[in-house]
Amino acid sequence: MQNILTVDKIEKYYGNKGNVTKAIDNISFSVNKGEFLGIMGPSGSGKTTLLNCISTVDSITTGKITINEKDITKLKAKSLEKFRRDELGFIFQDFNLLDMLTAYENIALALTIQKRGAKEIDRLINEVAAKLGIEAILSQYPFQLSGGQKQRVACARAMVTEPSLILADEPTGALDSTSSRLLLDSFEKLNQEDQSTIIMVTHDSFTASYTNRILFIKDGRVFNELVRGNDTRKEFFNKIIEVVTLLGGDVSNVL
Amino acid sequence: MFSKLALNNVKRSFKNYSIYFLTLTLAICVFYSFNSLEDQNVMLGMNQNEDFILNMSYFTIGMSIFVSFVLGWLIIYANNFLIKKRKKELGIYISLGMSKGKISRILILETLVIGFLSLVAGILLGIIVSQGMAVVTANILSAELQDFKFVVSMGAIGKTAVYFGIIYALVMLFNQVTISKYKLIDLLNAAKKNEEVKVKNPFVSVLLFLVAVTLLMISYSIFLTHGLAADRVQLSVVALFGGLGTLLYFFSLSNFFIQILQKNKRFYLKDINLFVLRQINNKVNTNFLSMAVISLLLFLTVTFLFIAFNVKGIIDQNAEERSSFDVSGYIYADGDIASPEMANIAGYLEAIDFEFDESERYAFYSEYKLDASPEELFTGYLSEEEKMDLEEGFMFNSIVKLSDYNSIRELAGQKPIDLREDELFIISDSGHVEGALAEYHQGEEPFILNGVAYSIQNRSPVKENIAIPRTGDFLYFVVPDHAVENMQLESTGFNVIYDEADPEESEEKFSALFVDFEEEKYSDFLPLSVSGQTWKQHLDRKNAPAAIAVFLGLFLGLIFIITSAAVLALQQLSDASDSLERYKSLKKIGVTEKLINSAIWKQTFIYFLLPLSLAVIHTAVGIYAIRELLNINFQTILTGTLLVAVIYGGYFYATYLGVKNIVRNSN
Ligand SMILES: Nc1ncnc2c1ncn2[C@@H]1O[C@H](COP(=O)(O)OP(=O)(O)OP(=O)(O)O)[C@@H](O)[C@H]1O
Ligand SMILES: [Mg+2]
Repeated sequence: MQNILTVDKIEKYYGNKGNVTKAIDNISFSVNKGEFLGIMGPSGSGKTTLLNCISTVDSITTGKITINEKDITKLKAKSLEKFRRDELGFIFQDFNLLDMLTAYENIALALTIQKRGAKEIDRLINEVAAKLGIEAILSQYPFQLSGGQKQRVACARAMVTEPSLILADEPTGALDSTSSRLLLDSFEKLNQEDQSTIIMVTHDSFTASYTNRILFIKDGRVFNELVRGNDTRKEFFNKIIEVVTLLGGDVSNVL
Repeated sequence: MFSKLALNNVKRSFKNYSIYFLTLTLAICVFYSFNSLEDQNVMLGMNQNEDFILNMSYFTIGMSIFVSFVLGWLIIYANNFLIKKRKKELGIYISLGMSKGKISRILILETLVIGFLSLVAGILLGIIVSQGMAVVTANILSAELQDFKFVVSMGAIGKTAVYFGIIYALVMLFNQVTISKYKLIDLLNAAKKNEEVKVKNPFVSVLLFLVAVTLLMISYSIFLTHGLAADRVQLSVVALFGGLGTLLYFFSLSNFFIQILQKNKRFYLKDINLFVLRQINNKVNTNFLSMAVISLLLFLTVTFLFIAFNVKGIIDQNAEERSSFDVSGYIYADGDIASPEMANIAGYLEAIDFEFDESERYAFYSEYKLDASPEELFTGYLSEEEKMDLEEGFMFNSIVKLSDYNSIRELAGQKPIDLREDELFIISDSGHVEGALAEYHQGEEPFILNGVAYSIQNRSPVKENIAIPRTGDFLYFVVPDHAVENMQLESTGFNVIYDEADPEESEEKFSALFVDFEEEKYSDFLPLSVSGQTWKQHLDRKNAPAAIAVFLGLFLGLIFIITSAAVLALQQLSDASDSLERYKSLKKIGVTEKLINSAIWKQTFIYFLLPLSLAVIHTAVGIYAIRELLNINFQTILTGTLLVAVIYGGYFYATYLGVKNIVRNSN
């Protein structure tokens, strides 16, 4: 298996002297091409921070992150931009949709900056919209959409460029079970048919059961790891529940 | 306690406040400079006649009302911008249980602090700027700056303080309404919501745009057909349709264009064009009113500057003009003349003990009345139209005897002329007279003047005046000396040429004499209308209205362009901080820094260009319609354009850099 992402002893501090938050405290792991990795953990454990560091939205304090054999902590601004544009699809916890663009235009933007042709853009958007069931709302503005609809538009924007690595921060957080399933099915399809690598943060055990492997994070450290192997989704779901219960304390409150 | 909170707030939100403070200072500076005009010594030196001063102060009052409105608008606008940014802060105060009364006291205190500081800074800046304006104006009016003094106008300071006191009171009132009107939830959410994204009906936008263009077209065509001859009704229609058209134009413009550009997928889906277009669309939609106002202000600016430079060209031309004489004076022989010998200018001057110096060469002459109007005299040689024209216009006319005329010629250094007994000689600058004279020479008929038949000696009239010109065209008949014996005296006059070595003393003496005449110093002594002018006075008088036009044109033009560019810059900068989240999102999904910068450039450029482009079209039409009034030359256009380009372009570029920095420093 080809290695796509290696996270090597990274740390991330927030704040200044005297008042330091260790959002990430020495985390290492690696992800192979075509893997579907889940990340779980209580609120404030550092999941968003981890994704932000991998996606180069944020910078790490110490350590090394390698994607496709490139050390992204050492990438120049130009290559960073190119990397983000061509290799990465990011679904943000707070969507990051542009409020003055329609859903269609928000999705289109990811393609126009790759300089795709107008016809191709139109085709790709219609395809991804069909997959996620958002054809009917394409002409609406974010303020006219529900939280779940916004989330699916954000997913469509991340998926439409068919990136080699998709980072999703709570993509099902605002969805009901039907739309969650719709979205997760398309993730699965993307993962199995297009060999896309997906890293997904979630609180929800059912959502997590779609993945191949799960990292549990607590207080900025890797707490546990669970591999699906040949389990069915049902079996895997039960194992997840076990670990989550094991984590106990504050976690059970969250879940 | 609260004063401390207010001060701290001002300190903390220094960036927002600095824009507000700069706007206020600028407005105050402009207002002070404008109102200190009357006290500027360049103007004082120039306006020796009362008409000028009167015109000037009427105009200043009228214009200062207009300027007050423009500046008031600017300040309310800037304040609005500031309050909008602080709604959330105010909301938090309220949610923490601070009473609205206390909050309004904080706001009042803040306004007072800022108001006072900006007033002081603005007036100081104004004092400096107005000196600069004086130098520039003097330069433009080719006035001498020998007695340049540093002028601080107390009147203007007082006016400025009162006016801005009122504006600040309005601002306070406005802010009170804001806090009492808004609900807590709106205040708290104010920061989250950028300006509302309004969805407009595409069909309505297209329709409105067409209506706007139609209104403008009607307005243009009326003005182009009638031009200066337009009557009051037509002018009102032009102004109303023009204004309404401009407003509707900006109201519908961006929606109209986005409808069209969206159809062109290849353009719309290129790079981040769709983002740029939406940004502009949003901005123009929310700010269409101020865009329309700015466009009209720019229209006034360009027109004013254009006319100012044009008139300056005329002044420069006048300054080139030469006269044969340095002084001309005359006395009218009408009315009850108690002592006929004093009704003669020579006798009069003697009676008031005025003497010519040895260095001053002079010549006296008399003028006699015609018994018919010029159009009657030339009746056989003029078309009906020309007669009408002469009847309406004013032409100075009289008869001069040969010996007087020859002594005037001698004074001017010209050879004397000869006349036979039945000959006369014509002096005139009128084109109609020239035509009539040519016509006369075609025939055999004698020319009848005051009942006597003459033949006219010259084939075309001599165009050189016999004195420093009074108003209007002139027509003089030179006849043999004996012919005037029974004619009625119209006036007697004199011309003087100074000694070239020392003209100043004479100039002073004669200008003082005429000022005395004007002030009717000798009217008790002899109630006759005496007047006259030195060449210098003549030029000043002729240039005075033009000088007002140049000065006010330049000044108002500068005020308007600075104000409008400041508002545009403010809007762009405030928009930049409002749109920070958008730019961050763009960066997160991988839009390059280069694309973002080019997006900012395009946005700022188009935003500045929109009001200017319509203003330029307005101006072009307006200037073309009144082209007969102006002698348009290439240099005029170039200078005006250059000035606008430098100021406006400077604002544009500074804004672009500012927005770019805000976006870049955001992470
Ligand atoms: N910009 C920041 N400045 C300072 N501290 C921060 C910042 N962002 C996050 N933190 C801190 O870092 C820690 C991890 O935050 P993070 O957002 O990664 O949590 P999370 O696991 O995504 O939580 P959630 O499940 O609620 O989204 C938290 O303790 C948070 O307070
Ligand atoms: Mg998070």
